Amino acid sequence: MVRLRQLPNIELLAFFLLLYAFFCFYAPHFNTASNLENLLVGYSFIAVLAIGQSFPIMVRGIDLSIGSIMALGGMVLFDLSVIYEVPGYVVIPAVLLVCLLAGLLNGALVVWLRLQPFVATLSTLAAYRGVVYAISGRQLFPEMATRPITDPWLTGMDSYLDIGGVTGLDQYMEMPWLPLSFFLLVGIFIIIQTMHSKTQFGMNFKIVGGNPEAARLAGINVKLTILSAYGLSGLSAGIAAIILVTRLTTATEALGNGMELTAIASAVIGGISLQGGIGNAFGPIIGAMLLGIILLGLTLLGISQFVQQIISGLILIGAIGYDKLLSDFRMRKARAMQSGS
Amino acid sequence: MSKQILLEGRKLSKTFGRFVALQETDFAIHAGEVHGLCGSNGAGKSTLIKILTGAHRPTGGEVHVNGTLAPAGSPLAMLELGVACIYQHSNLIPALTVLDNVFLGRPPKTKLGFIDATEQRRKAEALLEKYNIDLDLDAQVSTLATVKQKEVEILKALALDAQVILMDEPTAWLSHSEVRKLHDTIARLRALGVGLVYISHVLDEVFQVCDAVTVMRDGAVVWNGSIDEITRPELVDRMVGNDLGEASRSVAAEPRHPKGTGEILLSARDLGMTNTFEDISFDLYKGEILCLTGLIGSKRTELLHSIFGSAKFSAGTLDVLGRSVRYSSPSEAIAAGIGFVPEDRLRDGLLLDHSVSDNLIFAALDKVSRWGFWNNRAVRELTERQIRDLNVKPADGSKIVKRLSGGNQQKVLLGKWLEIEPKILFLDEPTVGVDVGAKAEIYAILRKLRAQGTAILLVSSDMEEVMAIADRIAVMVSGRMTMTCAADDITQEELVLQISGGNK
Amino acid sequence: MSNKKERAEQEGRRDFLKGVVLGSAALGSGLVTPGLVIGESGKAMAAQDERVKMAFVQIQPHTVSSAWSVGLEEVLSTQQTIDYQQLDGQNKVEVQVSLMDTLINEGAKVIFLQPIDSVALGPSIKKARRRGIAVITLNIDASEEHAAHVEMNHYYGAMDIAKEMGKRMGGKGKVAILNAPPGIIIRDQRTNGFVDGMKKYYPDIQIAADQVADWSRKKAQDVLSNILTAQPDITGVYGVNDSMALGGVDVCKQKGILDKMVIFGNDGETAALESIERGELTGTQFTDVYQQGRFAAAAASVFVSGGVTAKEFKQQGKLLMPYVIATSETVGSIQPAQRW
Repeated sequence: MVRLRQLPNIELLAFFLLLYAFFCFYAPHFNTASNLENLLVGYSFIAVLAIGQSFPIMVRGIDLSIGSIMALGGMVLFDLSVIYEVPGYVVIPAVLLVCLLAGLLNGALVVWLRLQPFVATLSTLAAYRGVVYAISGRQLFPEMATRPITDPWLTGMDSYLDIGGVTGLDQYMEMPWLPLSFFLLVGIFIIIQTMHSKTQFGMNFKIVGGNPEAARLAGINVKLTILSAYGLSGLSAGIAAIILVTRLTTATEALGNGMELTAIASAVIGGISLQGGIGNAFGPIIGAMLLGIILLGLTLLGISQFVQQIISGLILIGAIGYDKLLSDFRMRKARAMQSGS
Repeated sequence: MSKQILLEGRKLSKTFGRFVALQETDFAIHAGEVHGLCGSNGAGKSTLIKILTGAHRPTGGEVHVNGTLAPAGSPLAMLELGVACIYQHSNLIPALTVLDNVFLGRPPKTKLGFIDATEQRRKAEALLEKYNIDLDLDAQVSTLATVKQKEVEILKALALDAQVILMDEPTAWLSHSEVRKLHDTIARLRALGVGLVYISHVLDEVFQVCDAVTVMRDGAVVWNGSIDEITRPELVDRMVGNDLGEASRSVAAEPRHPKGTGEILLSARDLGMTNTFEDISFDLYKGEILCLTGLIGSKRTELLHSIFGSAKFSAGTLDVLGRSVRYSSPSEAIAAGIGFVPEDRLRDGLLLDHSVSDNLIFAALDKVSRWGFWNNRAVRELTERQIRDLNVKPADGSKIVKRLSGGNQQKVLLGKWLEIEPKILFLDEPTVGVDVGAKAEIYAILRKLRAQGTAILLVSSDMEEVMAIADRIAVMVSGRMTMTCAADDITQEELVLQISGGNK
Repeated sequence: MSNKKERAEQEGRRDFLKGVVLGSAALGSGLVTPGLVIGESGKAMAAQDERVKMAFVQIQPHTVSSAWSVGLEEVLSTQQTIDYQQLDGQNKVEVQVSLMDTLINEGAKVIFLQPIDSVALGPSIKKARRRGIAVITLNIDASEEHAAHVEMNHYYGAMDIAKEMGKRMGGKGKVAILNAPPGIIIRDQRTNGFVDGMKKYYPDIQIAADQVADWSRKKAQDVLSNILTAQPDITGVYGVNDSMALGGVDVCKQKGILDKMVIFGNDGETAALESIERGELTGTQFTDVYQQGRFAAAAASVFVSGGVTAKEFKQQGKLLMPYVIATSETVGSIQPAQRW
């Protein structure tokens, strides 16, 4: 019961369900199995990115470079698989390693060079994108550029589970086919949520973000914590890259362009406070899916995409404003208590 | 003493550059003892505490825990040896639960390396029962009252099996009834053999809870013994010292000008701010220095900000230069001729990464610019004059302010405000962290301003400073102005009593 | 679709239905079955009143895609049952993929697609085909088989450009190519056609540089500037689209060497034709893009009305547009109404 009361993002979840219901009623073709499938396949990887992004934000930073890290991971995957024909079970760990290192480099810039996270990751955003063009097998071997990825390990990443068929439920209702990426997301959610609530490592992000001085005095390695936050962000960009590239069967140089904003928006909407120290793995997922249903719903309603972009911007402003409001409220409450009741 | 010594500092010294913060100090805490640590600001209390908790590495001397030498300058090692500190400012994570905060950084773990929530809860509940503390372990810390947060910090210390708990001004943010609750908790801890160090400016509290007292002044221990061996006036006497600093003495020799020229420049009536202060009435005269003194948390700074327009008062009236005003932003106050030297010069007052010259001119840009462009010669002349007048060292306008000593930074900050020639000048703790020589120079500048007819309202917690330069003194206690009088009409001892909540 | 549902849906249709029912009854059939209605005539098709959804997913707003859309709409709007919608891929692969998914879910019958990447849109096209949706690609072919492809005749057009260009260069000299980014088939076609054409007609002309300028005039200026600095003896420039060719014109104008240069573009947009008339750009391959849109729309109409489904296409249909190599001599023959 106690746990239930403390379930975070309860308002967000309610808003999500409300909006879902709204679109079901008003947007044609919204309440269909294939739309749900589109949502899951189109936004699971964004949810993964948002979970990753939540770590830098939690330690009072930000990672703007994830879109470029994604492209980097995607291009490494393309090069290894299509150009060098390395088997998929080697390619996947290699991509994850590259993205982890790219994230750790961000962390190193923040921790040791004492760069502002915004500046550090804005620089690497440009730098990693440059690396993508430099190593692009599509540029180096233009004749290979129109060849799709065929490695069964990699194309297998883009498979679906016909849950209705397996359980026999499709005799009664139309069930969506669940993409593998969704199961991956669920797995990541379980791991990260366990980490947050059950391990010292996960708790450290909240402690460092909530009060760095207290963390230091409690003997927590603040630098290592910040470093791992950026490492995790890079790693999740790698996972997202694998999901997206195996689905597209190729990588492009511009992959993930502007994706950092979607991920940051999802995380912030999901209740990861920009003031640091607050967060969980559930919020970013709901945040990403919320953005997803809004974009899908508005498209199905036939609303212009330019208007959609304006609406997404307004939602982000609303989320940040709400976050600011909450933290002001917390501070006021703390002050009121300090002056004695 | 028969009781076991838990924590001992032997001949501890600490110097910062040429400034001696602590010299060859001995200090010992016994089991089951509440040890008061008294002294005015800058006496070296915090330095001593920071060395004992490992936050500072001493320049000389040793720290022993239970008779064995402890590694110097390691907060982690001291924690593991059972020395915990409750700092004046909270070291809790607001977004986490009480339970998570109590085991911050070192929760019990299962064999697989996961946090053992069951064990954690069992341990915490055992502690709550043993020390008879009442806390909701699942409440988020941010939702707790301040006294409860202090109890969380105490519980956090106990969870480390702390034998010694240092408390730095634990009651600064607490209300009267909350103080009593805290004292009850302290008494229970003492009964169970924990050694406590209790730092407070409030002498009432010291006499209430402490078994022994150490008095510090100018970085050294001047008295040490059982609380029964000393009376309150004697304690005050030892804190203040018989010899005021040379600078203070020369200033004290100056004639005082209570109520200055007799012309009222600023007049406050029944000012109030919700949950902060109330019923504040006073007048500020041309050509006088009015010192506003009190304990940390007595809301003096908030009062200044509300007059200056960086915060808003919610009740009462304010007249400045004969006009009823209510500034909505500092720029209006500055335009009306009010200057403000804030307490935290690093945060509020100076552009640390800019040159002395930039800092001096940025409040007075219209003086050195024409049609919006700077006149380089005017800038140079202004900078040179200020550096000479203020005796800023090194005398180099292009020096980056961050690299100057605290005293010289403060002089630059003062110079910045002097340049706009304020009719009224507010200063908030202008000499904190400033060495004696620079203090004297700052006092001299203030005197010169007073002679020119500026009305000065100075917030200070330093009794010697107040006694040295005030023409009149006002005392604030918990958001109320309890006393106003001419400086000559009060002794320092009486003042200390006033500040700590009246003569009892 | 059941009779009952239809009645509930739209009041105004009832009278018409009644007539059909009566007519059918006269034929001895008591029920209106969809199959019966489709088979009979265009009018009966309307009677069924099933709105047919078609959409065009472009890369991003551009003169070419806008002109296609105009041509598409011109034809489709004359058929009352068709809903047409133009969607913006925002130059992002994942956006195009997501739009494709949405359209498939909405049950669109035909999707016109200008893929950002020939490979990356493959899986989406495959999914559409599985659901019986016809995908018609415009200009940029996809690596996955689909219903039809309507293109500007990239390969043979580029060969003709090479032929015309070689003639004007006097059969010798060096040529630079301002190319598109890799990953799309159009790039290969327009480049290979040009290279093969040169080899065939003027083997003495050497292709001295081939660099990517991202379709963009600005980027082309920088790229060609660098090329000309390194190889000042280049006298021919082939821009894989007009924007890049015009970027080349800008550079040569600035260097004062426009007289000596032979510069060809590809597409035939209005800006390029005007440049030819001013005597700056040497030539381009002109295609009537409105017409291209109309052709694509016509093909789409066949798919929805002719009872042909995408699944039935074993081999993809390919439609090559007629073109004109526009030069100072021929540009006058292009009518104002054809210009885009």
